[in-house]
Amino acid sequence: MISAHTPGGGHGTGLFGAVLVLGAALSAAGYLAAAARLRRRGDGWPRHRDALFAAGCAALAGAAAGTPPGGPFTVHMIRHLVFAMAVPPVLAAARPVTLVLRTLPAGPPRRALRAVLGSRPAALLLFPPMAAALDVGGLWLLYRTPLLSRSAGRPLLDAAVHLHVLVSGLLLAFAVCCLEPVRHRWSLAWRGGALLAAGAAHAVLARTLYATPPPGTAFATADLRRGAQWMYYGGDLAELALASLLAADWYARTGRARRRAARRETAFPGASAPREGVRTGRVAGRRVVPGCSALFRLLASHDQQRIPAPGRREDEPGTARCQGPRPGSGGHGPDRTVHRSRPAARTGAAGGPGAAPGAGP
Amino acid sequence: MSSRSVPPPPAGPLPRPERSLAVCALLGAAAMAAVDEIVFHQLLHWHHFYDRSTSGVGLLSDGLLHTAELLGLVAGFFLFADLRRRRALAPAHAWAGLFLGLGGFQLFDGIVDHKLLRVHQIRYGVDVTGYDWAWNGAGAALFLLGAALAVRARGRAPGGRTAT
Repeated sequence: MISAHTPGGGHGTGLFGAVLVLGAALSAAGYLAAAARLRRRGDGWPRHRDALFAAGCAALAGAAAGTPPGGPFTVHMIRHLVFAMAVPPVLAAARPVTLVLRTLPAGPPRRALRAVLGSRPAALLLFPPMAAALDVGGLWLLYRTPLLSRSAGRPLLDAAVHLHVLVSGLLLAFAVCCLEPVRHRWSLAWRGGALLAAGAAHAVLARTLYATPPPGTAFATADLRRGAQWMYYGGDLAELALASLLAADWYARTGRARRRAARRETAFPGASAPREGVRTGRVAGRRVVPGCSALFRLLASHDQQRIPAPGRREDEPGTARCQGPRPGSGGHGPDRTVHRSRPAARTGAAGGPGAAPGAGP
Repeated sequence: MSSRSVPPPPAGPLPRPERSLAVCALLGAAAMAAVDEIVFHQLLHWHHFYDRSTSGVGLLSDGLLHTAELLGLVAGFFLFADLRRRRALAPAHAWAGLFLGLGGFQLFDGIVDHKLLRVHQIRYGVDVTGYDWAWNGAGAALFLLGAALAVRARGRAPGGRTAT
């Protein structure tokens, strides 16, 4: 394993590496199969997400199996960079949890997943400052306590450190980007603030590593400096990726909200209360604005479905649905899952939310 | 963007001069921070990546500033795109904001970072007085240009609409 002391410590990551490679391969295969199944069923799932997820898994496997060039500390750092910074934003952008929720048939497994996502511990872990503290706090612990030197001869501890780096990186990416259907969607200020704090703490740690090695280790100065610079600039790239995901999501959301408001304004000049828009829009949508009828019919089918079976609501992987004031925020696409079991409703929504905006009057 | 297909509300989109100015000031400050970092750290190697004399506060402020610069670039870009999408960009105010941001960051870096916190100097091993004057002078010039543009933008077009 990567270690400070053993000179031959640069070969892959041993058994843990093999497990990671296997896990990455299985995840990628599962994702691609699930996406293919969704498409066969007639639902949309953008192909670039397949590519993103596969690329993320490939990078993970590559970093676990291969050995980048450089001294032991640089190798260690590059591997951490891939685990904690390059892979998580890519995997988060592919929205694997949404995919799983949409492919799992209604039943105990999906209910269990929904329950886990909606549980209190999950909400706590996905609180952006919490995720940031776990991620960067772990790094401070690793490099500013004797943890790194202790893990040198202990494969289990070492594997645990790597696993923590990977999982907390994923957690931070999921919490900051917030692209999955979770119970609470934190505001942009919380998510951006957590990203800022995490980035700053990371940059400071990288700067100090440049001058002071982790306690108990004896890396060559050049190796240490190169590793610290990899950490610093690699962190920048990860931060740019996360910030771009966050901002692009905001841009798309506000765009959708604006288009909805404009449609409502066209249909009912003067009436712009968001809550009433859906209900009345659905009725009038057929008569007044035929161009938007696909979206309105989609919303209408939801309403019809929810009235006779309120208990099913728990099964819907829809974030938008739980939030009331934003009833039609498609694009996440969770709305469509529901129609799978309802052929009648599904034909009504054939256009899908994606088709509606272009079809404005 | 597909928002084009939606007709604007009857009143038409209103330009938002203050927002244009603020967004472009953010972009300007972030851009100058990036230029500073790329030119002086990467190309000229005048700054040290880290020198041991740096205080804890200085290190923290530098880390925060560096991260804020990256986030500011991304946020500014998307906010700017949002203004364009709403057709709410007031160009005169936007230019004024850009120069205010560029100069403002340079003055902040020159006075707070170099002199008050002493995070880093412009160059090491030489007398920095000339460099400091050049850096702060350029910052002040950019800032004053921005201020003049802001005054002109405000005077020329109260609504910010017809200004170019």
